[in-house]
Amino acid sequence: MRRAFLAALAAAVAAFAIYPEFGTGYGVRSILQVFMWIALAGSWNLVSGLTGYVSFGHVAFFGAGAYAGGILITQHGWPWPVASLGGGAAALVLAAVIGGPCLRLKGPYFAIAMLGLNEVLRALVSYFEGLTGGGNGLSLPTLDASVPIYYVMGLLAMAVTAGTYLIITSRFGLRLMTIREDELAAEAMGIDTFRHKMYALLLSAVGPGIAGALTARDQGYIEPISVFPLATTITMIVMVLFGGKGTVWGPVLGAVVLFVAQELVWARYPYVHPLLFGAIIVAVVLAMPRGVLGLLQIKYHLPRTI
Amino acid sequence: MNVVITPTMVAQVVVSGILAGGLYAMVALGLALIFGVMRVINIAHGPLLMLGAYTTYFLYAGLGLNPFLTVPISMLVLFAVGLLLQRALVFRVVDAPELSSLLLTFGVSIAIVNLAQLAFTSDLRAVEYITGSWVIGQLAFSKSRVIAFAFAGALTALAFLFLQKTRLGKAIRATSQSREVAMVCGIDVRRIHLLTFGFGSALAAAGGALLAVIVAIQPEMGQVWTFKSFLVIVLGGAGNYPGALLGGMLLGLVEQLASLFLTTQLSEVVAYVLLVVVLLVRPTGLLGGRQT
Repeated sequence: MRRAFLAALAAAVAAFAIYPEFGTGYGVRSILQVFMWIALAGSWNLVSGLTGYVSFGHVAFFGAGAYAGGILITQHGWPWPVASLGGGAAALVLAAVIGGPCLRLKGPYFAIAMLGLNEVLRALVSYFEGLTGGGNGLSLPTLDASVPIYYVMGLLAMAVTAGTYLIITSRFGLRLMTIREDELAAEAMGIDTFRHKMYALLLSAVGPGIAGALTARDQGYIEPISVFPLATTITMIVMVLFGGKGTVWGPVLGAVVLFVAQELVWARYPYVHPLLFGAIIVAVVLAMPRGVLGLLQIKYHLPRTI
Repeated sequence: MNVVITPTMVAQVVVSGILAGGLYAMVALGLALIFGVMRVINIAHGPLLMLGAYTTYFLYAGLGLNPFLTVPISMLVLFAVGLLLQRALVFRVVDAPELSSLLLTFGVSIAIVNLAQLAFTSDLRAVEYITGSWVIGQLAFSKSRVIAFAFAGALTALAFLFLQKTRLGKAIRATSQSREVAMVCGIDVRRIHLLTFGFGSALAAAGGALLAVIVAIQPEMGQVWTFKSFLVIVLGGAGNYPGALLGGMLLGLVEQLASLFLTTQLSEVVAYVLLVVVLLVRPTGLLGGRQT
């Protein structure tokens, strides 16, 4: 079973690696998007799925990365792969700054504080026009780098998923999950909860930061509305909840299934699709709190660490 | 900024801040009630406010009713919507971990906003009923805001009277102090939860109905009110109902002063910084939490 799974995984990675050789431009862009969603959903899962601290503002890290990457490319002439790391670093700094006060807040307070963060960043980006272009946005020099970005985004998705596996199977991951189940008990057992939550938040911010910078490069133009939409946070959350929060493959499953569904069906009905996202959240919370993978785990006695 | 700030300008801003603060206080009281009684933060609070604004708009545009007379109707309609939400969905997660209720009401909020977009389109709508200002001395009092403030003040006073004097109000306060003890005293806690969600939604609707006369109505107008209401109850102390009044006034004043001394764009940032600072320095809020 385990060997078959690893073989299938290797085959999938190989298939995605050679796909751009003969795939269409549309195909490459679509798969690039899937990679991005895997990275974003996986990152949200790291903090919210494992520690139970819901981040309603995760797109803030994506947007911060997009702007940092965009500014480094346009104003400092950095090559985009380095600039995307800069985007990750910017998101890391933001997480460190915001995590200090916000992670001292319990449960719902943290969630709402993060909900506000997004609006604040959007306001700040619009305000500092000299640096960010304000409401006019930021145009990056033209460059057709879809295929290299495809590979980098694919690596990022793999890194986030592999990182999640390593964390979930480690003592560090167990401590995070202890915080989720009962923070007081975790503290009583000697876990430095604040520091662990901080690590989880930092880890979960890097991926969206890099993804944001890559997206900025790929699209060539960013503006406050396009990189800080609440819809992106919503999509991340729905993907993780649908696939199964706190699991390794749940975010991947959710990202693939929901992205394909979105492309095939819902793209024709623009307003129905977010409406369905709302309905999915409600249904998952009420009917299957551990998502599709949670159901499969129970039905087929799969290990906890999938 | 090179503009000289005169005392008149400051006074004007204080007036505007207090007028806005009255609305904040009333809307936040609705969220505080629900949070106090059920420990559920209703992320859909702002979207419910938006539905209240649309109710008023359609009664005004369709039936030609005076928008201020539609306030009780909007409240009644959203009271029913609140009962329905609680009865169908929210009661299932009252005892679950906070994560569940947060995510559930988040899902409800997304669904409401997008249903509204489908049903009402994203067009901006306005209730152009009363415009202009009363000028007293050097200060201008926007007519619509003054009337809205009066309504909000009256409704908030009524709500407090209800909480202090009636049996039902006392039962609500008892439940919010201790659910178990309330149960032992023979209070039907599930019924209290149901009615509280209704009352909370009705207060949001009143805010929406009054805002309808002041600002443009669109499906996404509500979300920011969830955040602001939350900010208000944190400032006042979660679970402390009079604290919501103080918090509302404070938020109104801080926002207005920030828009005078900085710019309007940054007033949201200032409100956010205020939230973080208060949570760090006085996590129980300015009046201290949980005394009802």
